[in-house]
Amino acid sequence: MTFLRQALAVASKDLRIELRGRHAAAVVLPFACTQLVAFGLSLGPGRTLLEATAPALLWLAVLFSAVLAFRGTYEAEGEDGALEGLLLAPVDRAAVFAGKAAAVAAQLLALEVVVVLLTAVLFGVSSAGSPLELAAALALGTVGLAAVGSLFGVLTEAARAREAVFPLLVLPVTIPVLVAGVRATALVQAGHPADAASWLGLLLVFDVVFLSAGALLFGQLLED
Amino acid sequence: MAIRYISPAAVRLRGVSRAFDLVPAMSRVDLEVDAGEVVLIRGPNGAGKSTLLRIVATALSPTAGTGQVLGFDLLSQREEIRRRTELVSHRTRLYEDLTALENLRFAATIHGADPCRAGAALERMGLARVSRETVRGFSQGMRQRLALARAVLRGPELLLLDEPYAGLDPEARELVDDLVTAARSEGRTVLLVTHGGARPGLATRSVLMRGGRLHALAPGEPALAVPG
Repeated sequence: MTFLRQALAVASKDLRIELRGRHAAAVVLPFACTQLVAFGLSLGPGRTLLEATAPALLWLAVLFSAVLAFRGTYEAEGEDGALEGLLLAPVDRAAVFAGKAAAVAAQLLALEVVVVLLTAVLFGVSSAGSPLELAAALALGTVGLAAVGSLFGVLTEAARAREAVFPLLVLPVTIPVLVAGVRATALVQAGHPADAASWLGLLLVFDVVFLSAGALLFGQLLED
Repeated sequence: MAIRYISPAAVRLRGVSRAFDLVPAMSRVDLEVDAGEVVLIRGPNGAGKSTLLRIVATALSPTAGTGQVLGFDLLSQREEIRRRTELVSHRTRLYEDLTALENLRFAATIHGADPCRAGAALERMGLARVSRETVRGFSQGMRQRLALARAVLRGPELLLLDEPYAGLDPEARELVDDLVTAARSEGRTVLLVTHGGARPGLATRSVLMRGGRLHALAPGEPALAVPG
């Protein structure tokens, strides 16, 4: 019960800061939209090519935007030594990790609603036949991304060149999410949602691995 | 159940050193502070005073040496020390986009204190009228008051104050002094770091830190006379 209360306190604190600071709305969302428009323009007007590449473009937009969102969640911790406040509190480190991951996952899910709609409009693709499978892929992918972002966010908080180090660490690690998400989305789009099960399974395994790693390692990474 | 050493000393450091990127900030410091003492640690900028306090608070690990804080081992029982200690420094550890009240309630939740006491703590530090304003608009003095309110809220066994007078107006300085006096009367231990002075009679003992070394170590040893 204490774990849940502490995790909820951290998550609601992060979401409240986000709602007031509007980092996701003012920075991350426009960045995601700009990426999709840029991808579309670079590929030209060919409908077939746009439809074929839409799943990859969707997930690339989500991934790059997620990296930006992760940095936003840790900016507030670095502003006046607030992260040290978490370090010095006798709080369950796994609860802090879970709270931070939940807050960033909520932000990403809201972002993905817009990204999916924009992808459908710009690239003329639809997953109306299997919305559950697409939602499952996005939800599982989001949990994995949030776990990685929350874990590596605290790791790079002390680094002098954190803006450069963070994406260098996060992007390679999240390649399995990108690959599995793209393949699952492509199968859903092609009308074979049942075939996406193995990719959804890979996303689930990724989530379990990084949620476990975060719960175990977050406290050690928080220490100096 | 954590093992707690039975000792009259609230803080006991033996040969504690700390270096940053191989540059020593503190060298072989021995310090013993009895429970209930208010110790003023004075010294010039860069003397290692803040490093000493941050080590006692377990915000930093020593690179050498051993110690106990409130009867708990400095290295292996950090969580127990953190439960009973509050560090107030120039880094106020506040969230800019939360209100004063939200900051205190969050601190209370993660420290296992009662969030309902946040209002009273703000009242005591003269921040009741701005309790629902975000910290972003606060002056440095108001932030410092809010950080002190966090200490009031928690009521720690060991209070570590790092330059608590910095940026404060005379009224707020009085509040700091009142806080220290109240802590002393309740039998709590206070380490007060400042490069200037403190109100005469506020501290039970004064020590000097210079070049990463501490002078006047044992309880009662008057290396520096406490004014008043």
